[in-house]
Amino acid sequence: MEESGKISLELCFGTTCFVMGASKLQDIESFIPPQYKNKVDVKAHTCLDLCKNSTYMKAPFVKIDGEIISEATVEKVIQAIERKING
Amino acid sequence: MAEQTFFVDIDCYQQKKSGQNAFGDCFKSRRYTDEGRLLAVLSDGLGSGIKADILATMTATMILKFIEEGKDILKATEVIMNSLPVCQVRKISYATFSAFECTDEGLIKIVEEGNPDFIHIRNGAVVEHEPKVITSKKFTNRHMHLYNFKLEPEDRLIFCSDGVTQSGMGTDEYKLGWRREGLIQFVEGEVLRNPTISSSHLAHEIVKEAIRKEPEHKAKDDVSALVLYFRKPRNLLIFTGPPYRQDRDAEYAKIFDDFEGRKAIVGGTTANLLARELGRDITTEKYNKGMLPACSHMEGVDLITEGILTLTKVLEYLNEGYDRWPDDAAGRLIELLLDSDVINFMIGSKLNQAHYDPDLPLELEIRKNVVKQLEKILSGRYIKKVNLKFI
Repeated sequence: MEESGKISLELCFGTTCFVMGASKLQDIESFIPPQYKNKVDVKAHTCLDLCKNSTYMKAPFVKIDGEIISEATVEKVIQAIERKING
Repeated sequence: MAEQTFFVDIDCYQQKKSGQNAFGDCFKSRRYTDEGRLLAVLSDGLGSGIKADILATMTATMILKFIEEGKDILKATEVIMNSLPVCQVRKISYATFSAFECTDEGLIKIVEEGNPDFIHIRNGAVVEHEPKVITSKKFTNRHMHLYNFKLEPEDRLIFCSDGVTQSGMGTDEYKLGWRREGLIQFVEGEVLRNPTISSSHLAHEIVKEAIRKEPEHKAKDDVSALVLYFRKPRNLLIFTGPPYRQDRDAEYAKIFDDFEGRKAIVGGTTANLLARELGRDITTEKYNKGMLPACSHMEGVDLITEGILTLTKVLEYLNEGYDRWPDDAAGRLIELLLDSDVINFMIGSKLNQAHYDPDLPLELEIRKNVVKQLEKILSGRYIKKVNLKFI
């Protein structure tokens, strides 16, 4: 969790992530349930440099409080946020 | 102190005669970056429409080809002057032309036959030159005007077809047309108002103003303005792709940072690498525009975009040509490219294995190939000086 107490959600807009589906994640903020909205801080990156390392599985990648989610989709990310908040 | 090099910024803008579907004036140009010289021809074909288009294109292409193949500009144009046919009805030449060859040092040779005399603007005023007149051995009514001089920094030359100087002819206000004097006054005013106006911008303004003189603002003839502006070059450096040898990242980052001119980074990994080496932060815009990833920002860099998708899109847009470039990362990169005279690419040769994953939904081009195609179109169609450096 960030200093602000918010969950940090980091998106990768690098080439591989973008063509593998990150383009659909840019609207993620609008899918976050209203009660959690002010608890998440969304930030985009030029590239998280994860696709070059085969141990991280497949793009697109998202980081939630530093934890890597591979093959990220809107559903997967929302579920991960809910898990974080609800413990 | 290193010798200051200058740039020959040229551009031509044209409008067709109203109601015609082909241009009766033809502009052709080629820049030879290695030899430091540039050739350009503006030809005006007799009449308008397809016939004029063919005559003008033929004349301009032939002159350019002759000079390209090593013939002196005077010899080349003399051959053309002597061989151009005469219109059976009007008994005048089929096409007129202005041709010039200019070096990076500003040495210029100009040959004109039949077009309005060019205008030379220096320090806001006109400089007149005495031509050497060469008369055709075959057609005594054909004369070539030959000029040979050296341009000084900030000099401008304006060439045009008679559609410009004769615009508005016959109207109450411009009985004899706008004429060369009117054009000079207009150009002096424009340059005074905007002393660094680019050739492209000035050529547009001249043609627009000429057409404003016509009744109902409809061009009565083909209208072309060709502008040359001898000035300090606007340099752009584009760093795209991580260097092949990682141990030289710091060295290349310094070259990038020290570069005098505008800078762009095309590639997410490259941007991260430079941010790391230069100790700066990057922020990425959260929303993508169009079908491309969003742009990012870093201190000291004019534009940061994603890599291969954006480059491929830039190539596609340049090939298609637009009046207004799409509002996305590629459009922003194109604006930067076209607003520069000398474009330097530093192309990192390291491959990203993930781009070759057969599961990717689309095939990604190899960066090197896309940049090579970009070089071709930027130096060909857009007359830019392009340097490639593979690292």
